[in-house]
Amino acid sequence: MMRRYETVYIFDSSLEEPAINEKLERFNVLLTKSGKGSVSSTNHWGKRSLAFPIKKKETGYYVVVQFEAAGELLPEYERAVKLDDSVLRYLVVLNEGEPPKPMPTVPAVVPELLELEEEEV
Amino acid sequence: MRRPAKTCPVCESGVRVLDYKDDRTLGRFLTERGKILPSRLSGMCARHQRQLATAIKRARQLALIPYIKSGASA
Repeated sequence: MMRRYETVYIFDSSLEEPAINEKLERFNVLLTKSGKGSVSSTNHWGKRSLAFPIKKKETGYYVVVQFEAAGELLPEYERAVKLDDSVLRYLVVLNEGEPPKPMPTVPAVVPELLELEEEEV
Repeated sequence: MRRPAKTCPVCESGVRVLDYKDDRTLGRFLTERGKILPSRLSGMCARHQRQLATAIKRARQLALIPYIKSGASA
């Protein structure tokens, strides 16, 4: 079963952007393996100061990735992320924000229909 | 002696799901020390108070907001 997830990575801010992109690419491969997932959006927040030091670093490079994947891919992916020393911290959560809705007009029509039916009865 | 019921600030703003990545908004619901503001004080509805708690805890893990803010001069 495919579910929508969201990962926030905090990379070591001393890393250059190409190096970060390369690492992201490597993680994404694990998520899209054998057609069981797809990355829907990647958002680089860039350097940001941390509210408290992590691994003795005061700043981090934040990246938010939204993706869809089968749950069985996650353990291997998380293992790879954990092993990477340049990831200061990461967080994977189910994406519960506004889902991309492919049916915009349907709910607006339904109440009218119900009212009409009641009048007829 | 009952005060008029406060309305939930999050419902009023029309937001349904609180985002843990939005540290500015979350900051409004923290005390000076960085604790979660009780709904008694913020007037938050129960659903949003629960969402707020998880959102704040996630934001803390990501170092977006501190676990404890040390007092400015205390």
